[in-house]
Amino acid sequence: MSSPLLDVWEAAAASPYQPTVGKGSQFTVGFLLLLVAFLLAGVFSLNRSFINVSVIGIPASLAFGFGAVYMICAVGVYV
Amino acid sequence: MRSLTSVISCLAALSSYAAAELNLSQPLLSKQVLSTTFTPPQVFKNANLVRTTNLDKGFPRETINVIIENIDAKPQSEYYLPFESSLISRVGGFEVKDKKAPEKGPFNVEVVGFDTSSPTEFYLIHLPTALAPKEQQTLSISYSVLSALTPVPAQIAQSDKQYVQFTFSAYTPSAYLTEKQKSKVKFPNADVPDYTTLPAEVNADKKADPQKQGSTFSYGPYNNIPAGAEQLVSVRYEFTKPITHASLLERDVEVSHWGGNLATEERYWLSNQGASLKNHFSRVEWQKTSYMNPPTSALKQLNLPLAPGALDPYFTDDIGNVSTSRFRPGVRESSLELKPRYPIFGGWKYTFRVGWDSNLSDHLRKLSTGESYVLKVPFLEGPRNPEGIQYARVTLRVVLPEGAKNVKYSTSVPIIDSQTSLHQTFMDTIGRTSLTLTAINLSDDFRDRDLIVTYDYPWTAGFRKPIVFTLGTFAVFATWWVVGSLDNSIGKKKTV
Repeated sequence: MSSPLLDVWEAAAASPYQPTVGKGSQFTVGFLLLLVAFLLAGVFSLNRSFINVSVIGIPASLAFGFGAVYMICAVGVYV
Repeated sequence: MRSLTSVISCLAALSSYAAAELNLSQPLLSKQVLSTTFTPPQVFKNANLVRTTNLDKGFPRETINVIIENIDAKPQSEYYLPFESSLISRVGGFEVKDKKAPEKGPFNVEVVGFDTSSPTEFYLIHLPTALAPKEQQTLSISYSVLSALTPVPAQIAQSDKQYVQFTFSAYTPSAYLTEKQKSKVKFPNADVPDYTTLPAEVNADKKADPQKQGSTFSYGPYNNIPAGAEQLVSVRYEFTKPITHASLLERDVEVSHWGGNLATEERYWLSNQGASLKNHFSRVEWQKTSYMNPPTSALKQLNLPLAPGALDPYFTDDIGNVSTSRFRPGVRESSLELKPRYPIFGGWKYTFRVGWDSNLSDHLRKLSTGESYVLKVPFLEGPRNPEGIQYARVTLRVVLPEGAKNVKYSTSVPIIDSQTSLHQTFMDTIGRTSLTLTAINLSDDFRDRDLIVTYDYPWTAGFRKPIVFTLGTFAVFATWWVVGSLDNSIGKKKTV
């Protein structure tokens, strides 16, 4: 039986969805990003200044945000 | 004058409200309600009808092949099939096709009922093209009847054979005159100790009724049976297999773009509708016989064939992990073999959940028209056992990523309800868009049906989760700096 949505599915046969980071490397990526966030937080703790809030805080926050997403996927809670 | 009209209309509205009594025996099902005086217009006749009842599985599967003829002067496109109202709530998988052109797909059907409790309700079949006067068309109507088998005797010993009884009408129920008809009953084996015999005068060939051919019985042929005629007959046959019935199946399919994963979880509320045990369950007897693997009325094992690429399966129940399961990944099909914690005898119940992951790339494709995706998943997976499994109600929930919108779906499974809502779980801020579909009276014959969902998912919505975490962490850094630069020393302020 043919339906419009089935045709849509068939038409998109050439472009299956591929995630940016595959299942095999989620743990590595997540762990590295969290490690970077941890180390940057350590550097920040040694030298807390207004300029460091943005210079170190922003990359550390980004590393923690993405690292947390990949780590929770790596442990089996696929968000 | 105007006030009188309004009073009358109010009274009419009130009376209809009082008469609209809820029929709670009927499950949630959209249907057309007709007035009590309705009878299907006699515009068709059944020129020839053959009904086949297949009793191989734990629920009868009926196939009616009928040649219908328009005997009216105008083209007609509405064909009615009557059912008793107690039966129609257990009829599932009702599909009508053109026997000569099955590739054209199933016809539109709907349930029509009456505004009062009536013994008869109808399935209304819409023929895609109206049938011209004196024209004929061959319909192939198929459906299954759930919870239709009664174990007789109702109690058996642990290793006894199980016999079940099935009652049906030898005349196929019809809203029209049937010129010629026959009912075939296919049993799973030739052990049929009891069956109703009908007098030879009723039979068109003046032969003994039913005619037996191995494990197939034929009632009929009968000539010129009027509309609505019934001739109840019962058959009792050996069926030493579990009659597996799921009163509810909840199935969740969760899409994760970040993880590239499709997580499936199924929660079953199973029961065995077979004969209950006469005595206490004997573990010794069970263990003694289990090596010989004889046929039994107990449900011992469930085999779930999964799509290739299934990963990380789990099988738990109310107590916790059930270790008696085996997972065999394969190239063409992965197989999950589940052994319940105890054999499920007649009248016993078992509730459990199974789940597994699979790669999203096998199920999700990106459309060329921007940020839209199309998802294809099976509507129903679940066990494939030779005796079959019946589902009284299936609730399928497709959990899409947070921020997905413009959700559309299509499936060939008859759906009674669909709704889109928000489902909140890990790392969510607003909640994930979820599509919930409900179907009733399904059987494992629907295993190969797909559900296709399309949705729009802008890339900005995809970054919601990491950005929320980033902002949260940045707030921690900022607070850290603010709190750390507060001077909370005791004594005089130092001046540098």
